[in-house]
Amino acid sequence: MLEIKPIFNALLRSKVSTFLLLVEIAITVAIVSVAAFVIVDRVNYLQQETGYPEESLLHFSVLTFGDVDRMQQIELDEQMLRNIPDVENAVFMQDVPLSGSGSASSFNSQPDPEIENNKSVRAAYTAGDENMIDTLGVNLIAGRDFNPDEIKYGLSMENPPTVIIASKAFVDEMFPEGDGLGQTVYFGPAPIKIIGIVEEMKGPWLQDSRADNMVIFPYVEVRSFDHYVVRTNPEERTAIKRQIEELMLANYDKRVINPAIGFDEAKAQYNAGDILMARMLMVIIVVLIMITIVGIFGLTLFNISKRTKQIGTRRALGARKSDIVKYFLVENAMVCIVGLVVGSAGAVYLGTLLLQEYSLPALDNAFILYTAGFVFLISLMSVLVPANRAANISPSIATRSI
Amino acid sequence: MFVHYLDLAWRSFKRTPLVSVLMVIAIAIGIGITMTSLSVYHMMAMDPIPHKSDKLHAVQLKAMDDGEEWWTEDNIPTQITYKDAMFLNDVDLPFRKTASTRTGFTVHMNSSDVKPFLESARVTSSEFFPMFDLPFLYGGAWTEQQYQSASPVVVISQSINEKLFGGENSVGKQVYLDDQVFQIVGVIKEWDIHTKYYDLNNGAFNSTENLFIPLSLIEANELATWGNTNGWKFEEINTFQERLNSELLWMQFWVELNNAQDKQAFGDYLNNYLSEQATLGRFERESPKFALRDVNEWMAYNNVVSEDNRLLVGLSFLFLTVCLVNILALLLAKFLRRAPEIGVRRALGASKSQVFAQHLVEVSMLGFFGGIVGIGIAQLGLWGVRSTYSYFSALATMDISMLLAAPSIAIVSCLIAGAIPAWLVCKTQPAIYLKTQ
Repeated sequence: MLEIKPIFNALLRSKVSTFLLLVEIAITVAIVSVAAFVIVDRVNYLQQETGYPEESLLHFSVLTFGDVDRMQQIELDEQMLRNIPDVENAVFMQDVPLSGSGSASSFNSQPDPEIENNKSVRAAYTAGDENMIDTLGVNLIAGRDFNPDEIKYGLSMENPPTVIIASKAFVDEMFPEGDGLGQTVYFGPAPIKIIGIVEEMKGPWLQDSRADNMVIFPYVEVRSFDHYVVRTNPEERTAIKRQIEELMLANYDKRVINPAIGFDEAKAQYNAGDILMARMLMVIIVVLIMITIVGIFGLTLFNISKRTKQIGTRRALGARKSDIVKYFLVENAMVCIVGLVVGSAGAVYLGTLLLQEYSLPALDNAFILYTAGFVFLISLMSVLVPANRAANISPSIATRSI
Repeated sequence: MFVHYLDLAWRSFKRTPLVSVLMVIAIAIGIGITMTSLSVYHMMAMDPIPHKSDKLHAVQLKAMDDGEEWWTEDNIPTQITYKDAMFLNDVDLPFRKTASTRTGFTVHMNSSDVKPFLESARVTSSEFFPMFDLPFLYGGAWTEQQYQSASPVVVISQSINEKLFGGENSVGKQVYLDDQVFQIVGVIKEWDIHTKYYDLNNGAFNSTENLFIPLSLIEANELATWGNTNGWKFEEINTFQERLNSELLWMQFWVELNNAQDKQAFGDYLNNYLSEQATLGRFERESPKFALRDVNEWMAYNNVVSEDNRLLVGLSFLFLTVCLVNILALLLAKFLRRAPEIGVRRALGASKSQVFAQHLVEVSMLGFFGGIVGIGIAQLGLWGVRSTYSYFSALATMDISMLLAAPSIAIVSCLIAGAIPAWLVCKTQPAIYLKTQ
């Protein structure tokens, strides 16, 4: 019915162009499936929930060189920032989430890591006053916020913080039973009670293996850089961003104010490499598919032009137009299927190679399957036009010049 | 003969303009995509100091207890402690060596003429300048005496000199770093490197520092580091002095070793030093462990070229292969259609190798055109890279070697693709075509 045997015999007579089509389809399948997999992996990473209303938040840093009581200046600055119209809240913060710069440490279940049964969990941490949770706009799902009297101003070993609010991921890793609220963990030798749990709160480094582990301390300490986070009405954020330097310098001028940046913008900067990778791979896939379509189109045209007489003869002997179209579709499908098998094997091999060499997850075989199906479709479609042209070859061709 | 073949190639190009243009476009797209990723790769992987990259060595010490793990492949931290850095910097050995770290200041002139701005600074020894090939425009490094007395002196870069003093000789003038007055002792020429190989902590492709101050100021001015600080054990640190004496790792150390003997001698010295420190009870180790890596080894060890980029280069070469397969098919069609003409030429005495050469010249010409157009496409691609990520702006460019590589790769790949059609066509039997005419 499908005349596979004669088509196969005919293919054997044009080995080079058959082989070219096969190679083209195989490489296309391998590249597209691997690239699509990497793109999906990156896009999922880029679109993950961070727990913050990123479009409403902005942050900026300050380096003070003048001789001023900075602790007091922080209070004045916070007041000034909160008084800007459309600003919901503002806070001085030790390190800013999603910014790519911060601090991390191990938290222990025992006062001394040497003690047996000690469990140690790494988490990023930051610190600020009782406005932290509200300013960051995170969702406190259990426990309570800091009380103003719990905030330590200036940090020292003699007077360490005694409470923390932590992300659910950290608390659950430390206490898998789910009873973390109210428990004590140790930061060095200092005992600290978990008084609040936040549903989702990413740390400063999204690529960290413990990106979800985040801890907030109730203290305010001046270091070389002062960071401020401001939550605004999202529509007004751009306008507020522009005023900040001027307003801060008007408050006190012996300092440098770094340009304010939105949380989403800082995240995009931190992830710029991944965004770039996803974009470049998308360009490669799109151009590659276009080139493959043109390539299959060209190869089929070439085959047809070589076989004009053969087609004419078949038509003269009674073959219908649909038979001719079917012939080329079946021929293409046969080559294509072999190419798809070779290409899928290549993709699996590439996938394992990437898994070994790079920090990429294992290639999901569904990607290869979908890609193979897709390439099969576009290959049949790009044969359709030349095949129809072949079907229109007049039977009289066969009788000419023989 | 070559010129004649070129002429034939050009005629053939014009005879089938559509197919020829299609082929050029196919090569150009393949080359454009490949050169975009290859250029970024080339810039990332380029040796930043070719004439002495095998002499400069990064020093790593495992001044840690046995059993302590680190995340590097050989388990040795990439930075060293302040006390090790200062001791090795000051000890008298016959090699150039320098400790350094990154800090930063607000730079201003204590007047309203210049708006205060932030600058990162390198705290280092005067050996840093000759080691990393930093020639002076004016003045020079600080003196030993200034180092010993922790004088507030600074070497500034050409761009800062331009910004603050309009480019004139500023040696002897003063500048404010935070609220302290520093005296300028030297101005270095602009440091033109893509990879900040001497300190890979905060991004390998960030710009180099524009201020250089003596190491002794760390202790004197209690300078905070702007780089990374790592630790491996819990220590109670309340004062700056305790921080300096701690096992915290936040300094970089480089040594210039001119030959294998030097490397051996310095290695032996480090072995003794570490054993001695272990005996003093700083850490518990059976045998001392350290590493000396030259610049290229150091860049590979720190994965300066990102995995993503290597993957992109691989994929884009595969992509180029697809383009070549298409060109091969088009060439096949084009050349075989010309078989009758070739038959006549063969009958008139052209040898197989002449026909083969003629076709190779033709595909080389296509490759050359494709390479030239490909450079244009690659420039477009690199522009796209730069506009996505300003951090890449110095990297996403084509230097002269890449500009030459583009047509070369295009021609070579076209020769590979064109060899089969050219071979098939030169096997043409003249008799067949003579018969029917």
